Amino acid sequence: MATVELVNVAHSYDGSKTYAVKDINLSWQDGVASALLGPSGCGKTTLLKIISGLLKPSEGKVLIDGQDVTAQSPRERNVAQVFQFPVVYETLNVYNNLAFPLRNRGVDKAEVDRSVRAVAEMLELTPYLKKRANRLGAAEKQRISMGRGIVRSDTTAVLFDEPLTIIDPQQKWHLRRKLKELHQRLNLTMIYVTHDQHEALTFADQVTVMDAGEALQTASPEELHHQPAAPFVGYFIGSPGMNLFDGKALDGGIQLADTHLPLAPDLAEGNSVQVGNSVQVGIRPEYVQVSRDAHEGWFPATITRTMLTGNALMLELTGENLQLKAIVPEESPLQAGETIYVHFPHDKVLLYSSRQDGGKRLETQVAA
Amino acid sequence: MSLQLTHINKRYGNNIKCRDLNLSLDPGMFLALIAPTGAGKTTLLRIMAGLEKPDSGRVFMDGEDVTKVHVRKRNVAMVYQQFINYPSLTVFENIASPLKVAGYDASTVKTRVHTVAQQVRISEFLDRLPQQLSGGQQQRVAIARALAKDAKLILLDEPLGNLDYKLREDLRLELKTIASESEAMFVYATPEPLDALTMASHAAILEGGQIIQMGDVRSVYLRPNQIASGRYFSDPPMNFLPATVSGGQLLITEDVHVDVRKLELSLEPGDYVVGIRPHHINVTPTNADTPPHTYEGATWMSAAATVTLSEIVGSDTTVHLEHEGVKLTALSQDVGHFHLGEAVTMHLNSDYMHVFVPSGKLVASAKAVRGG
Repeated sequence: MATVELVNVAHSYDGSKTYAVKDINLSWQDGVASALLGPSGCGKTTLLKIISGLLKPSEGKVLIDGQDVTAQSPRERNVAQVFQFPVVYETLNVYNNLAFPLRNRGVDKAEVDRSVRAVAEMLELTPYLKKRANRLGAAEKQRISMGRGIVRSDTTAVLFDEPLTIIDPQQKWHLRRKLKELHQRLNLTMIYVTHDQHEALTFADQVTVMDAGEALQTASPEELHHQPAAPFVGYFIGSPGMNLFDGKALDGGIQLADTHLPLAPDLAEGNSVQVGNSVQVGIRPEYVQVSRDAHEGWFPATITRTMLTGNALMLELTGENLQLKAIVPEESPLQAGETIYVHFPHDKVLLYSSRQDGGKRLETQVAA
Repeated sequence: MSLQLTHINKRYGNNIKCRDLNLSLDPGMFLALIAPTGAGKTTLLRIMAGLEKPDSGRVFMDGEDVTKVHVRKRNVAMVYQQFINYPSLTVFENIASPLKVAGYDASTVKTRVHTVAQQVRISEFLDRLPQQLSGGQQQRVAIARALAKDAKLILLDEPLGNLDYKLREDLRLELKTIASESEAMFVYATPEPLDALTMASHAAILEGGQIIQMGDVRSVYLRPNQIASGRYFSDPPMNFLPATVSGGQLLITEDVHVDVRKLELSLEPGDYVVGIRPHHINVTPTNADTPPHTYEGATWMSAAATVTLSEIVGSDTTVHLEHEGVKLTALSQDVGHFHLGEAVTMHLNSDYMHVFVPSGKLVASAKAVRGG
């Protein structure tokens, strides 16, 4: 296993007119479980192809353990890949499928047998070893694909491209957990590409959120949740995503549509927000406080809809010309049509510069 | 419109898709048909549409037997997972095509296309070709086409299955709005519990070619009538724990037990399976007295456990636990960290337990999830 680095990597498919990925600088330490997370078209698959060597970037370098491998083929880089759809030899049995990458590299027979059995055990494929791949379901076939990805001990890194797409929800939980266990057991450098935040956050210790060809933030799942570096990260991480409003910084607070957010005066005196600036205000639905009773500084809002999320109740609210979501416990008696009172706890409010100014996170000090 | 399916049987060779299946839907319902892949959801939708004839049994629409009525004469629309649009026609022409087939005049076609395009928020793309749109936009075109023809029954076969997770989250809310503004009946087949919870008014669980449970979505979710219902309509998966009743105690292990009377249940001595959702299991550092997010009067079963895995999932944290060889999943509604192998205390909220016989049927649900 190895450390993988991208230095000033950019790629254009149309001769520099538009860029699929823009000036990416990222590194993956040896043995880290990481993910590239973003919507369709954000450039994450392009980046994966650049790492594996399937694509040579228009600009920049790929380093493996400090060595420039930009010109090397996937085979020379020794990178294993697991794709969206299982890649198995249908007519071979599971044992021979798993053994294939090893035999291909001339590994001796005893070593092949040892590795295949160990991988089969980890992926719960032992009972199927003698079965032909075409007798198995999609989930088992995908486990074979994963097994083929990790079976070689000399692999530089294992890349996963949305490997759970075709798997049923119940099976997904199981396979996600298996993958995480595999990583903890084997300590491989693994890079997992997905649009699904659940998959990225459960699998990876380090997640890079991408949008429109840019890497917006690379951080732990916890930090992405608590400290999203850009409004898009706040929206994309969390279910539902962060509430986001346009506002204006005033002396001693922020004007949000018809309501005045009475944030402590220090906020506006912070060096990055000037009075009169347009700003964006974010707060996660789970941090929005609601009450049937009026309190000072809380604003009224009407519940337009309620929805179970499976473990909580989501409220859609409209008030003071703001539309927002709040999460309350599933036992909550609140119902659509009610007018309630809403509050944004100061320590949970995040500030960003306006869209025009790039939506940068504004570091601010909130007084107690 | 109302829809009844009575004693439907359908098989392809040895593959039985419907086994004496009965289902009755009232006007205005938005039904989520929940089942894993391959359980026969698509077959059932096709029988409803008239694209497939049952081997036996009947289909009634508004009380009228339509079993032998062709799909074209049933006034139904279908949306598939693989969005189907005519690639050489513009978005406008795609949406207009069923209306033209039905013989509407040009001005009516125009009005209807613009109305539904606005509903699904694709008005600005009407002149484009489908391939110039993103996956989410293409699926909206397919939905618009289904809405445009003013069908009485709209059948959706995992329509969001191919879309990005976040887009799916957004489109669910939109579809719910669209359905609430439409007079059509919606039947939505999906393996995803969240699709059902967010959009549907009612839920039906399909297993072994039969509807094993059907009711309003909240009650089906809160009160599974058998183990399979709880299994398919739960994300993350419900915990199923073997248990015994003896001496007035319900025992999961020696340390995890509760007085049956406290649960206000009457259970004969014997073997059972306890079902409990992950978010009704709390995890605290060792020896902490009360679990977080507690409410007054909760009946907790607490015991020592070891963390085998901790995952942050969106805004929640899933903690996989092991206790005396029993594996459990807990979910806490915040973002926190537990380490592999960490010793913790787990607290099962027994007010939210379901007790099943080992063969699957529900015996009783605890007080917080009982009927009413």
